[in-house]
Amino acid sequence: MIVCSRCSKENQDHYKFCLGCGAELPRESSKPRSFSAPTPPGGSPKVGTGTKPPRRMQAAEALAAAEPVARAVDVDPSPVQAVRSEPAAAAAPLPQELAPLAEAAAPCINCGAQVPENFRFCHVCGHDLDAAPAPNRRSDIPEERVSAPAVAAAPRRSAARAKLILIQPDGSEGEAFPLGDGPTLIGRGTGGIFANDAYLSPEHSEFRFEGDQLVVRDMESLNGIYIRVEAEVPIELFDGSVFRVGQEILRFEAPTAPDASPDGTQLMGSPHQGFLGRICLVIGRETTGNCFPIPPAGIHLGRERGDVVFPEDGYVSGLHCRIHSEVGHVFLTDLGSSNGTFVRVLNESFVPKSTFVLMGQQLFRADY
Amino acid sequence: MEQARNYVCTECASAVPSGHKFCGACGAGVPSEAQTLETRYFGAMQMPGKARLIVVRGDEAMGEGLSYLLQATEHVAGREADQIPFPSDNWLSPNHANFHYRGDRLVVRDEGSLNGVYIRTRGATPIQIGDHFMCGQQLFRVDATPKDSSGPEADQTYFYSSPRRPSAFRVTQILEGGMDGIVCCAHERTVEIGREDCDINFPDDVHMSPRHARVEMSGDTLELVDAGSQNGTYLRIRGERELSHGDYLFLGRNLLRVEVTA
Repeated sequence: MIVCSRCSKENQDHYKFCLGCGAELPRESSKPRSFSAPTPPGGSPKVGTGTKPPRRMQAAEALAAAEPVARAVDVDPSPVQAVRSEPAAAAAPLPQELAPLAEAAAPCINCGAQVPENFRFCHVCGHDLDAAPAPNRRSDIPEERVSAPAVAAAPRRSAARAKLILIQPDGSEGEAFPLGDGPTLIGRGTGGIFANDAYLSPEHSEFRFEGDQLVVRDMESLNGIYIRVEAEVPIELFDGSVFRVGQEILRFEAPTAPDASPDGTQLMGSPHQGFLGRICLVIGRETTGNCFPIPPAGIHLGRERGDVVFPEDGYVSGLHCRIHSEVGHVFLTDLGSSNGTFVRVLNESFVPKSTFVLMGQQLFRADY
Repeated sequence: MEQARNYVCTECASAVPSGHKFCGACGAGVPSEAQTLETRYFGAMQMPGKARLIVVRGDEAMGEGLSYLLQATEHVAGREADQIPFPSDNWLSPNHANFHYRGDRLVVRDEGSLNGVYIRTRGATPIQIGDHFMCGQQLFRVDATPKDSSGPEADQTYFYSSPRRPSAFRVTQILEGGMDGIVCCAHERTVEIGREDCDINFPDDVHMSPRHARVEMSGDTLELVDAGSQNGTYLRIRGERELSHGDYLFLGRNLLRVEVTA
């Protein structure tokens, strides 16, 4: 609520001008309150065993506080560089094509030859270095063949090729958990920073490298792994896709129609022009709460603006994300929200550099 | 000179009082129209003591403003019914509803139709979980809150759910074709439905009032309350239901008004 200093009219937080007199309202108050005013958790789990209920807010708080850190780290948002392992590239101000033949070299994931950083194709085997290998396809190749050349050709790398940096509730960086080339299993059973997170399964996730790509696999965990999606980049939704906005866990369901009656009678109901599907608030393993069908024109989600609003969730931006359809497919797009939109990993997924990963109630940044 | 005051026998010209079937003088038969002094109506629509159905909004083929007199014992309405046919409404079962008399009262019975019979409610009406109702062009079902499935695992992993509030029941919109649409869990034992500023809003439904109706849990009973809407709130009947003058019914897309003339 912003009280106008000229006419004392009470205005909603996102108004830029007073509804009463048109005076410009103070800018600070018109920002989303994601950073400052966390709402208390709506439902803490029941405690049947006498154990202390885990604190729910940590990940969301960390998420909120981590934003300035994230901006500082994202030196180069170029998607090409984001998928390649180039320690020197982030510092190099020149565009790739204009840069001189780089001294730094990275191994080709196809043949293992040392390829200068600014080459788009391997000069030995012609492999397209920008083409991201699909995890499924790559997993057909024996593991040694994928990892051995990378290790052999990069002797300067230590055993830890990446780190999971814990982002603490105050936004500062906490402990770093090293990830090596081979599979690293993480869960409550791992101990350390994971030991006290009751939302982590004992064996929750497995991280490994495939070439230069960090890959995470869900070990059939209860709560899954969520990866922050890049703003303004549409992500396709499939029946059963789960994503997280603020503290809300939402599931996308493709439309399904019951069978027609044998005597030709149609089931009556509210008129509509068809739907892309619907989004359902997940409130239990098999339970959903409020649901909204998505009309052909799509919907916007936000704390205050949009077709579906979350006025009680301070971690949702005023306008957060949207769902729309193109050529028969349904997409989720983050609209530059402060705290991001996270998509649950189905089986396994790449983890791009410096991406935020939610596991259990903790937020991490995958640095490599 | 005066006119004879009775029916006059065509055989023997004797006077025959009303009610006689044969001439008392010659035994000739008396025609049936002369046997009684009962006055008939010009049209059946003048008939007292019976009811009729007026089609307020109707089937494309049959038109609006049509009225059906309910003079027989039973009158079946449906897509393929003889007495009250609505041939072009595929929301109606072939035999959808039966209008019949029990004593003096007109009764409607759902003949096991797919989509049911809806009657306009007034004020607050007690309802049950599973009941269906209509506001404007929208159809809803009242559902129970599902059993909580967010408890911890055997290995003490907690389920991470979206924030929840206690909710006594929920209202689910049913889309044409039978899919579930909007689901709204009750806030503080109430779900309000309308065009604007309600829990479920339909800004595009021109037949919906701004604040149309609400479902409330008061004590342990659920109530459907019409908030003085212009077009009314309609509740699907269970089995059969007595009708009164001025009742409104939805059969599929057809809106009917009941007129009882006595």
